Amino acid sequence: MSDQPVLDRPVTRRAVLVGGSLAGFAAFLAACGTSGTKTADPTTGPATAGPTSALATSGPTSAPTTPPSPSAVLNWANWTYYMDVDPTDDTKFKTLEDFKALFGTTVNYQEVIDDNDSFIGTIRPQLQGGQDTGWDIIVVTDWMAARLIRLGWAVGMDLGNMPNVTANLQDVYKGVSWDSTNDHHVPWQSGMTGLGFDTAKTGNLTSIHEFFDLKYKGNIDYLSEMRDSIGLTLIHLGKDPSTATTADGDLAVAEIKRVQDAGMAAVFKGNAYAQDLTAGNILLAMAWSGDIIVAQADLATLSFNVATEGGMLWTDNCVIPKGAVNQYTAELMINFCYDPKIAAQLAAYINYITPVKGAAEALVASDPEMASNPLIFPPADVLARLKIFVGLNEADEAHFNEQFATVTGLG
Amino acid sequence: MGYLARHRGLVPYLLLGPGLLWLFVFYVIPGISMFTSSFWSGTLETGYTFSLDNFTNYTAALGRFQPQFIRSVLYGGAATLLTFAIAYPLAYAIAFRGGRYKNLLLFLVVAPFFTSFLLRTISWKIILGDNGIVFGPLKDIGLLPGDFAVLQTPIAVISGITYNFLPFMTLPIYVSLEKVDFRLIEAAQDLFASRLGAFRRITLPLSLPGVFAGSLLTFIPAMGDYVNAELLGNTTTTMIGNVIQNQFLTQNNYPTAAALSFLLMAGILLAVLVYARILGTEELTSGGR
Amino acid sequence: MATQPIAMGKPPASPIARVGRFLDHYLLLVYTGFAVVYLMLPVAVIAVFSFNDPAGRSNFVWQGFTVDAWLRPFAIPGLGDSVMVSLALAFGSTIIATSLGTLIALALARYQFRGRAATNFFIFLPMATPEIVLGASLLTLFVSVGQPPVFPTGFLTILIAHVMFNISYVVVTVRARLVGFPIHLEEAAMDLGATPWTTFWKVTFPLILPGVMAAALLAFSLSIDDFVITNFTGGTNTQTFPMFIYAKNRIGIPPEVNVIGTVIFAVAVGMVALSVWLGKRRQGREVGPADVFLNLHKQPREGK
Repeated sequence: MSDQPVLDRPVTRRAVLVGGSLAGFAAFLAACGTSGTKTADPTTGPATAGPTSALATSGPTSAPTTPPSPSAVLNWANWTYYMDVDPTDDTKFKTLEDFKALFGTTVNYQEVIDDNDSFIGTIRPQLQGGQDTGWDIIVVTDWMAARLIRLGWAVGMDLGNMPNVTANLQDVYKGVSWDSTNDHHVPWQSGMTGLGFDTAKTGNLTSIHEFFDLKYKGNIDYLSEMRDSIGLTLIHLGKDPSTATTADGDLAVAEIKRVQDAGMAAVFKGNAYAQDLTAGNILLAMAWSGDIIVAQADLATLSFNVATEGGMLWTDNCVIPKGAVNQYTAELMINFCYDPKIAAQLAAYINYITPVKGAAEALVASDPEMASNPLIFPPADVLARLKIFVGLNEADEAHFNEQFATVTGLG
Repeated sequence: MGYLARHRGLVPYLLLGPGLLWLFVFYVIPGISMFTSSFWSGTLETGYTFSLDNFTNYTAALGRFQPQFIRSVLYGGAATLLTFAIAYPLAYAIAFRGGRYKNLLLFLVVAPFFTSFLLRTISWKIILGDNGIVFGPLKDIGLLPGDFAVLQTPIAVISGITYNFLPFMTLPIYVSLEKVDFRLIEAAQDLFASRLGAFRRITLPLSLPGVFAGSLLTFIPAMGDYVNAELLGNTTTTMIGNVIQNQFLTQNNYPTAAALSFLLMAGILLAVLVYARILGTEELTSGGR
Repeated sequence: MATQPIAMGKPPASPIARVGRFLDHYLLLVYTGFAVVYLMLPVAVIAVFSFNDPAGRSNFVWQGFTVDAWLRPFAIPGLGDSVMVSLALAFGSTIIATSLGTLIALALARYQFRGRAATNFFIFLPMATPEIVLGASLLTLFVSVGQPPVFPTGFLTILIAHVMFNISYVVVTVRARLVGFPIHLEEAAMDLGATPWTTFWKVTFPLILPGVMAAALLAFSLSIDDFVITNFTGGTNTQTFPMFIYAKNRIGIPPEVNVIGTVIFAVAVGMVALSVWLGKRRQGREVGPADVFLNLHKQPREGK
C-alpha cells in the first residue's frame, strides 16, 4: 500500500470503497444484530410493562382476577447436558418442544452455567439491585440455592401452580434446613461424585484411597468444586462430610497439601476432566456420574464408581431469581417436568439421578436397560453410602473457601 | 473553518474531546467506584463499610499473594522476550522483503485472531497433548520418556501467552520499521558499514518506538492474563489474574479483589516507567514531538 | 588527489561475505516461512478437527472423517446468532474506536497543549487495567444507573465496553506511525492553495492510512476475540462467539464450531489476498511528476 505514490493510489480509492461498504455492512449487521439477539422484550427490566409482564403473577400471594396465561417466552439458564436433545433434530430439545406444543411458550434455553459462582457473579449486580436478571429459571447447586434464599434473591413459588411437584418429589429432598417454607427451590437433578477412570488403563477402581495414591502422580484431576474435593478427602480420612466442622475442613486441606507436596501434581478442574480422561492425559479423576456416561460414547472403557467408603451426593435445583418476569410460566415449566412421563424422558437422556417419583416405572416400558442403570437409579446400598455436604453459614463458607484456595494455588 | 483558523488552540481539545469523554464515563467513573470498594470491610451478607483504615486490604493482599505476583512478572516478562525474539525478525522480513505481499503477510500474522483464542489454546492442548500428534510418536520410538509432559507446566503457559500476543508485538514493530527510509541504510552501506552495522546503528534505533509499543502491548495483558494459566497450567503456575478472578467470582471478596486489581495496575505502571527510563524515552511516550 | 571523482565501489567480496549475503538473502525468507507455519499450526488443527466425527461430544481425539459439520454448520442452536453478534460488535466498535482514537492520536502527536503529558498517561491506563476489573466495574455502572437501567446489559453495553478498551490500542498504534510525519507536505499543499479540509483528505489521510488500517485491524481482532469483558457486560442474554465456545468447552466443542472458526479465518485471509491481487493488476498506471515530488520522502522498495 505505501509503496505507491500518493496520488496514484488505487488502494486508497478502493480502501475508501471497501471501508464504506464495510461501514454499511456493519450498520446492517448492527441492526439485525440487535434484533437477532434476545435483547428485546424479556430482558428490558420489570419497569417496562409489556404484555408478558402484565400476565406474570408477581408473587405467590396475589390472586389474579383473571387466570394468568403462559408467556410467549421463557428464559432458562442451565448447566450443560441437562435437557434432552431431540433424537430426530439435534437443534431442539424434546421436552421444551413438548412444553411449547402444550402451552405455546418458546423456551429460550441457554446452557450458560458451568460454575455456580461465576454464573451468579455475572448477575449479582442485578440481583442486588432487585432488577430483572433476564432469567426466569436458573439451576444452581444446593449451597448456592441456600445462599440465594438467605440473601432474599430467590422468590417463593406458588405451589398451587405446581401439583406435580407436591405429589412426586422424592421424600429425601423434602424438609431441607435452608428452605424453611419449602417453596423457594425445586430439585432438578442429583448426581454422585466418585471415581472416574479408564478400565483399560487402570482396571476397576473402588477405593477412595486411590485418589491419594502416589502411583497416579501427574495423571490425576481433582475437582475445582470445593465441596466435592474436600468431601471426598474427608471420607478418605474417615470423617463424615455431612457433619464436618471447620477443623475437619482444615484437616482435609492439610491432607491435600501433603499429597501435593509429595509430588501428586493433581490439577483442579471442572467438567474438563472428562476430556482429559478421553484423551488419555490422566488416569483417574474425581468425577461426576453423568459426565462419565456421556463420555463413554467417546471412549467406551471409561467407568464410574462410588467408592466403597463413600461418595458425595449433590443436587442442582431450579430457582426463580428475584425480578423474573415470567414467574407463572416458570412454575408451569417446572411442574411440567415433574410429570413422571416427562421426567422419564429427561432421565433417559440426562443420565443423572431424577428426583421425581414414578420416573423409573414410566421408563421401564420404553427403555428397561436405562431403568435399571445404577448410575441413574442407584440401588439402596449405594444411596446409603452417599453423603451430602454439610450446610455452611457465611463465615464458615468463607473459611473453607479460603483454605481450599491455598491448595488450588489461589491463596 | 474560519473560526477554527482563528482559534487554533482549540483544535487539539476538539480532537481529544469525544474519545476522552467516552473513556471518562466508561473507564474513570467505574474505576473510581472500584477504588472505593477496595477500602471496604465486611461481606456480601453483612454489608460493607468504607474506612480508610482498610488500606490493610492492600498490605494483606500483597503479602498473601506474593508468589502469584512474582510469577506474573516472570511469565509475562519471559513471554514478552520470546515474543520479541520471534516478532522482530518477522516484522523486519515483512517490512523490508515483503514487497507486494506485505499486506498479505501482515494479515497472516493477525489472522489467527479471527478464530477464537479459546479454539487456538485448545488446539495447542491437542498438539501438545501427552500422547498427541507431537509427543505420541516421539514417545513410541523412545526419544522421550513415557511421563514427559508439557501440558500443565510453566512452559506450556508461557508458550500459550507468547503465541496469543505475537500479533501485538509484530504489528507495532512493523509499523515503525516500515517507515524507515531505505536510503539511509543505503547511505550507511555506501560508507562501508557492514549490514549488521547498518542495522545496529540505523534500523534498530529507528524501530524503537515500535518495539516499545509492542512490548507494552504484550507485557501488560500478559501480566493480567489468566486463561492460559487456567487451561494450560496447574496449581503451581497460577498468576495474579487467576487470583483476582477467584476473589471476584468465587470468594465474592470484592474489597480484596479490588485491592489486588489496583496493586496489579500499580505494578504494571511501575514496570512501564522503569522500562521507559531505560530506553531513554520521554519522546517515545509522547509520540516524538 | 585525482581531479576526477572516482567511483567508489564496495571492496571485493570475500567468501565469508558472499556466504553472509547468501544467508542474509534466504535466511529471512526461511525464517518467515517457519514463523508463518508456527502461527498457522493451531489454525490448521482447528481446520482438521472440523472434519472429525466424534461419537460423543468431545472433539479432542481424532475419531473419523466426515463432512457432516461442513454441510450443516449452523445446526448447533445459538451458534449462528453468536457469530452474527460478534461480527456486528467487531465492525461497530472498530469503526467508532478507530475514529475516536485516530483523532486523539493526531492531537497528541502534532499539537502542543496543556495537559498533553497527562493525556498520554491517561490513554495508557485502560491498557494497564486487567480485563476482569474493566468488566466488573463497567457492569456495576450499567446496572446502577437509572431505574429502569439506562444501559440494559446486552449488545449496546458490550459495544460500549469494546469501544472503551479499543480506543487506547488505536491511539498507541496510530501514534507510532505519526512519529516523523512529514508536516512539510501539508504545508506545501496549503502553500499550493489547498484548504485545510482538502489537505487533510488528500495529503494527511492517505499518509496515515496504513497506520489507521493497522489500528483498525487490531481493534477488530481485539473485539472479535474478547471474552472476559464481554462476559461481564453482555449479561447473560447476548452471546458472542467466544462466549459460546467457552460455554461449550465444558463438555466438548462440537466440530461445527471448528467449521465456523475456519470459515472466518478463510474469509479474512481471502479478502486480503483478493485486495493484493487486485493491486497487482492495477500497477501499470502512469506516474506523473507530482507523484514523484510527493513521493520524495519514500522510495519504492520493490525487489529489496
